[in-house]
Amino acid sequence: MEKQILFTTEPIVIPALALPSREIGACVEFQGVVRETEQDRLLAGLQYEAYESMAVRQLERIFDELSAAHPCAAVTFIHRLGWVPVGEASLFVRVLAAHRGESLRFCAEAIDRMKVDVPIWKRVYERHRTA
Amino acid sequence: MEVKVLAFAQARDQLGFAERLVTCEPGESPRAVLARIAPELRLEAMRVAIDQEYQSWDVPLGGASEIALIPPVSGG
Repeated sequence: MEKQILFTTEPIVIPALALPSREIGACVEFQGVVRETEQDRLLAGLQYEAYESMAVRQLERIFDELSAAHPCAAVTFIHRLGWVPVGEASLFVRVLAAHRGESLRFCAEAIDRMKVDVPIWKRVYERHRTA
Repeated sequence: MEVKVLAFAQARDQLGFAERLVTCEPGESPRAVLARIAPELRLEAMRVAIDQEYQSWDVPLGGASEIALIPPVSGG
């Protein structure tokens, strides 16, 4: 499958949809957005950091393993680093496949596994002490 | 041999550095290296990666060039 993995300190720009073949029947997109409240605290935003080279390796492995279980044609993964204010996206994932089942499962499981094994960290900044 | 020790997020806060070159023996484990340079660090709260792959704290370093301290991750 085609894999595109990107970390950026700029606001995420969603790439134009490019279909790798005419057999794509499903395009699943997910954005993770920074919420204003977390555990009853009002946030100004989140500060993200990553061990980028290892994160890319881990993501490639996760995508390859998931692709064996849920065949998909392409995945685009963009994670923002640095300061992300409330209301902006920290994560964008797009999965292309022939059918919706594979692409929905791939997308959900990829995010679940990222949250367990991919070396990315966030810190919470409450609103009254904005970084 | 020299091994680069990388510390991220809470591990960096606790150690007070993001990166340090440490002289190590190939037979040493990450646990032994950390016991030497940061005996107060609680290793059970984090994982270790050797050359960008998760490993046991007790595996010998061999010819590794990098140890990374990985606190619980929270991407997304």
